[in-house]
Amino acid sequence: MTRWNTSTDEVEAVSPDITDETNALPARYFTDPAVHEMEKEKIFGRYWMYAGHANAVTEPGDYFTRTIGDKQVIVVRDHDDEVRVFFNVCAHRGSKMVEDTPMTDPGNMGRIRCPYHLWTYDLDGDLTSTPKSFEEAGLNPDLEDEDVCEFDACDNGLKEVTSDTIGPFVFLNFQDDPMPLEEQAGQLKDDLEALPLGEYEHATRIVSEVECNWKTFAGNYSECDHCQANHQDWITDIELRDSELEVHDYHWILHYTHAEDVEDEMRIHDEHEAQFHYFWPNFTVNMYGTADGYGTYIIDPIDEGRFQLVADYYFRDGEMSEEEKGFVQTSRQLQEEDFELCERQYAGLKSGALAQAQLGPNEHTLHRLHRLAQEAYEA
Amino acid sequence: MSQQQPQQDEAPFVARTLGSGTRKEAADANEVLAFYRRQSRTAGEDVEWTFADHPAVTAAPDEGDLATVVRELDAHFENGVPIGIIAAALSKQGDTIGDTMDAIHDLRMTGGLWEPRDDHLRAF
Ligand code: FES
Ligand SMILES: [Fe+2]
Repeated sequence: MTRWNTSTDEVEAVSPDITDETNALPARYFTDPAVHEMEKEKIFGRYWMYAGHANAVTEPGDYFTRTIGDKQVIVVRDHDDEVRVFFNVCAHRGSKMVEDTPMTDPGNMGRIRCPYHLWTYDLDGDLTSTPKSFEEAGLNPDLEDEDVCEFDACDNGLKEVTSDTIGPFVFLNFQDDPMPLEEQAGQLKDDLEALPLGEYEHATRIVSEVECNWKTFAGNYSECDHCQANHQDWITDIELRDSELEVHDYHWILHYTHAEDVEDEMRIHDEHEAQFHYFWPNFTVNMYGTADGYGTYIIDPIDEGRFQLVADYYFRDGEMSEEEKGFVQTSRQLQEEDFELCERQYAGLKSGALAQAQLGPNEHTLHRLHRLAQEAYEA
Repeated sequence: MSQQQPQQDEAPFVARTLGSGTRKEAADANEVLAFYRRQSRTAGEDVEWTFADHPAVTAAPDEGDLATVVRELDAHFENGVPIGIIAAALSKQGDTIGDTMDAIHDLRMTGGLWEPRDDHLRAF
């Protein structure tokens, strides 16, 4: 039974049993500003988050920034060819150091220098130089120059953020001692690393803003029961036959089987299907059945009622062919169709009538999503 | 800025990103500014105005530098002109929001503007 916001209906935590009637996250977790604040810590501060694509930073000193909630990091390739992640915050007095630099327009720097008092850091985060005024005490009559102790390069370096990769995908985790990425990723790591993802080039990024909670879109992505009625063009074009859902601890995969006559060169993987991988909390890898390339989505909340969909497309060549442009267009059409559904659903949720939805037996991917959110809130 | 009326939408402020054409509708001009900031942060995209329905923008001059435009707009507001309104007014001269933000930065750094409240400006 669906639970309404009446005097008698009461909500409960998401039941681990999908056949229970309280199998969905209570509605307020989608609409409450306080939940958005809580998620910054309990979800986006705790799990492995996608930082960006390693191909954007191929040379030492190449960098971009990534903003997650209130935090911002610098993703940089160091002189040992390692991609490292640091808070974009100076160890002296906490200034932001580099300007916002999207992955699609990366910068290059020999060292990281704070513009405020010119503390300068190596690409591995060590403090390499401070201006003279930090080595002498000329302005302070209470101190002799020899009282000034030297800054230890390492102890006064930048705050590094734990990072790791799956193929060319760089992930970060804001916790000091997180569960390993391979534990959160499970089989996804092997699946993705079996494909030549690094050989593909970034072709385009499209960032849309949508008026619904990020989990509303996550739920939409995770099921295709709405496809027949709402993605008519797509369904006919690829002759969608079947879909199959595969659910793991922190990720789930939607397999869409379609007509066999698509040529093998038209896909990155071997199976005659499209594969959509959702990786908790907010990253997806989209493997199309009809394009030699792949896409990724980042589903970044702006606030409880809005999110940014950061859609990146990768093809053999960064310059798209006409066919590939057409493909991106189709993908955009799908997104718009989904945005409309999500915004409509969210308008309903926000109106406050519903207290706790209920999931159908084939919405087990959403059940996983809701369970993971519940687990995160309770932890 | 094109003078065409928005089709079905009621939103007084409409803008789009230059590269991908992502559309933004807003009830408040500074919400378009926030959109610009998010777009430039994640995609390096500039944003141009499609439509701005506000008496101050309608009355704003079609020419003149930033300081002149801000002074003209000032009469319509109590405590500073929302930057979104300034950007919409300057779009009459063909400026994107990025162009306006650059011009604001330049003028501000020479002391020509002040900010009596967040994202609202007045000109000397
Ligand atoms: S805050 Fe960075 S050098 Fe002072
Ligand atoms: Fe969909």
